[in-house]
Amino acid sequence: MSHVRIEGLTKRFAGKPPAVAVDDLSLEIEPGEFIVLLGPSGCGKTTTLRCLAGLETPDEGRISLGDQMVLNVRGKVNLPPNKRRIGMVFQSYALWPHMTVRRNIGYPLRTRRVAREEARRRIDEAAELVDCAALLDRYPAQLSGGQQQRVALARGLAAQPDLVLFDEPLSNLDARLRDQVRAQLHELHARLGFTAVFVTHDQSEALALGDRLAIMKAGRIEQLDTPERVFDEPATEYVAGFIGMSNRLPLRRQGTGWILAGGPGTDEQPGEASSSAGASRLVADELPVPRSHSEVAVRLRPDDLRLCPAEEKPPAHGVALAAEVVDAQFGGRHMDVVVAIAGSRLHAQAPLTGKPWARGLARGQRVTAWFAKDAALYYDADGARAAAHAPAAAVGA
Amino acid sequence: MAAPAVPAPSTTPTPPHPNPPHPTALTRARRHLPRLGALVFLAAIGYLVIAPLVGLQRLAFEDDARGYSAAFDNPDMAETLGTTAGLALGSLTIALVLGTFLAWAATRLPPRLRLLRVLPILPIVIPAVAAVTGWAFLFSPRPGYLNAALRNLPWWDHLDEGPVDIYTLPWIVLITGFGLTAFVYLFVSAGFGNINAELIEAAQVSGSSAAGVFFRVTLPLLRPTLVYGGFVALLLGLGQFTGPLLLGRNNGINVLTTDMYVAVSQSPVDYGRAAAIGSPLLLFGIAVVFFQKVVLGDHSRFVTHGGKAFRSGGRPSWVAVTGIVLYSLVALALPLGALTVVSLSAFWSGKIQPSGFTLDNFRRVFQESGITDAIVNSLTTSVISVAIALPLGFIAASLLLKGRRFRIIRAAVDFIVAMPLGIPAVVFGAGFLLTYSREPFILYGTRTVIVLVYVTLMLPFATRMQLSGMVALGDTYLEASRTSGAGALRTNTEIVLPLLRPTLAGAGALMFVLLTHEFTASLLVRAPTTQVMGTILFDYWSNGSYPLVAAIALVMTLVTSAGVFVAMSVAGSDIFEKL
Repeated sequence: MSHVRIEGLTKRFAGKPPAVAVDDLSLEIEPGEFIVLLGPSGCGKTTTLRCLAGLETPDEGRISLGDQMVLNVRGKVNLPPNKRRIGMVFQSYALWPHMTVRRNIGYPLRTRRVAREEARRRIDEAAELVDCAALLDRYPAQLSGGQQQRVALARGLAAQPDLVLFDEPLSNLDARLRDQVRAQLHELHARLGFTAVFVTHDQSEALALGDRLAIMKAGRIEQLDTPERVFDEPATEYVAGFIGMSNRLPLRRQGTGWILAGGPGTDEQPGEASSSAGASRLVADELPVPRSHSEVAVRLRPDDLRLCPAEEKPPAHGVALAAEVVDAQFGGRHMDVVVAIAGSRLHAQAPLTGKPWARGLARGQRVTAWFAKDAALYYDADGARAAAHAPAAAVGA
Repeated sequence: MAAPAVPAPSTTPTPPHPNPPHPTALTRARRHLPRLGALVFLAAIGYLVIAPLVGLQRLAFEDDARGYSAAFDNPDMAETLGTTAGLALGSLTIALVLGTFLAWAATRLPPRLRLLRVLPILPIVIPAVAAVTGWAFLFSPRPGYLNAALRNLPWWDHLDEGPVDIYTLPWIVLITGFGLTAFVYLFVSAGFGNINAELIEAAQVSGSSAAGVFFRVTLPLLRPTLVYGGFVALLLGLGQFTGPLLLGRNNGINVLTTDMYVAVSQSPVDYGRAAAIGSPLLLFGIAVVFFQKVVLGDHSRFVTHGGKAFRSGGRPSWVAVTGIVLYSLVALALPLGALTVVSLSAFWSGKIQPSGFTLDNFRRVFQESGITDAIVNSLTTSVISVAIALPLGFIAASLLLKGRRFRIIRAAVDFIVAMPLGIPAVVFGAGFLLTYSREPFILYGTRTVIVLVYVTLMLPFATRMQLSGMVALGDTYLEASRTSGAGALRTNTEIVLPLLRPTLAGAGALMFVLLTHEFTASLLVRAPTTQVMGTILFDYWSNGSYPLVAAIALVMTLVTSAGVFVAMSVAGSDIFEKL
């Protein structure tokens, strides 16, 4: 098991101007830890993983796996992948179609010159681990997607590498299979305790699997923390948006209270510019924001944005906003409602249990949207936490 | 073997300390090994391809460019240039129209007759020399079978020769165009295959008629294919040698290639003049290759399109069926039929006399040691050349695909490997004849020199087919192997080669076919004692032993067909589309 240390890793791709895929990134991974690199496409997470694997040639930085220095750009050390004692699981499975499952799983053992008897035992063991023992003599083309990915998993683990790298291994699977393989992977990690780096753009995958998450943005780590802390205390507005706080409401201080400032609502849909009369109305008196801030962006999860009939008054600890329903979709136990608040589009998840009122929502209907002050998070213009009910989490690594 | 293509192993395995080991002289040397390998490879293929061309030019520029003045002060040169351009453009036009029509027709075949799609490719199995002689047997003014038949028509019954004279430029253009049609057909068919069916369906749903869809959507989408295929056909047309030599030479119809051949094969032999004659072809070829590499960029054309396969929409068309059947009848059955008749006859006259049919000519083919030697030579040189060209192509393709670190070496390899496709075989033939008839390598008259020419001519095919195979393979299989702990060598032997097996087999078989066909370059480098099938056929043609010529042509066709059959059975029927 390994202690992985990445220092000052930088990778630029040629172009005009050159694109910086990984920007001076540093990260330490404890033995047996499961690290998830999370971010949208283009944030450098896969490039970081490929640098760890030795599949890319970084421009700067050092990487050590255990006591082995595998990359030191200054010292002109860059071990090829086959000298790095790693295992890797690919998005496209990458099972060699001309080899049986047995030969596929056995390949990393052959390359590492494991004795034949020992190799046979470990192939059986690895196949057993992922429930593929019955498939050993088949060819990859004869397997379903889920089976292929489980075999790929077995291949990645078979040689008991110091570090296992996962490059979005679940994203080619359909939703149900993805949950199954994810659960299996979680269980395997708990049992075997390998050190893992897992790349994904799926936040639920990241929350479920990671011991720690590294949320990446533009080649840097924006926040590195446990799933709980990332979920509850996103350090920056970017992280908040990525981890599910998709509603954004810009507010400006006026006198003793706060008014709505124009700007986009949900991340997905830019708000329509609108000169609604409500824009300059005072929406809140005091917010848990330091005096020094005159503008904040409020971040809210859809289920923390509540709706009630326009004439009803929300509780005293809430911030009430006049809203108009743009669209309402039935979502089973809740309604997915898009509301316009002073030109911003926000997304509310209105529960239906015991509240049949929301089922009847229709376009154009005026309602009151409100949120509890302590359910929202507040970010300043730079995207940093403006205040917190707990001390702000450290930004970056 | 593929050492140049893989990332550098940069240091000793498992240094004991977290600190970087100091790079020793050994590790430094190992880091530069791949670059050294790539350089050696570049030097080898560079010498192979460029040395003959440079040798030719040096001669042409000797003594104040005496070669150039000898070639271009000749009053006939203007006419030769005009004929060359006319032949190339005329045959290109015929091939483009026919090839595009056939490719369209192939998409409109009724499902039961889908197999007819292969018919337009089949003329490729007939070697050019065989096809040309076949046409001559049909349309020679006096004894040509079809001419004799046409003279039975009431309005031609007064003629005692003609009405067709195959030994004239228009007919040479027509026959050459016919020969190029199969290539254009392959290109355009592949182009059709890359058109997403939904684009066509969208046009139909939007209210376009069948003709409207063809001209407003299909044809514009095919434009890149047509331009690229057109350039290739134009190059082939400019380099045409067989038709003009066999049909035009005796009637004073000269093109650059035949002039060049005459300059090096008839006394007084004048290499300088030959080199100068070839220069326009050389320059044009280099220009086209350069244009293709620089302007069209490199790999995009190998990328296969996603989406649904092409369905032309539109109902099956009987025009399509008739067109394809008619074309194959004309391009395939007629010349083969003529060859068969002549080969079975004691002599060639305008009349077909089944009662006098005999197998004597075939018996002679297999008895005369000159001919059997030529057949054996053809087979052995082709097989050996394929065996050499495949690994060379593998290295070149690996370098092109993965050698991003060696930018200059890679660009040079890319260019050099494409040159034999752009520059006519006759130029290479003359260059090899010159280069390997003198120090340091005196190989004239050996099979080695034939193998060297063949390997050179096959470099583009060997590289391209393997390159597209590797592109289709993608990087992930290889990365999975490297991260599983396999080095470059094991990755190549256990992963790449097995996965490329169909590609390798297809490429090998295709090259075998092209080489057993080979006539042009062979004619220049052969020696009276070292012949191949095409050249021995030419000798008998020059002697006027026509029945024997026909028999040899049929044997050549048979050998080639066997090659195509093997190619298709191991690599699937689409192997030609991978070019």
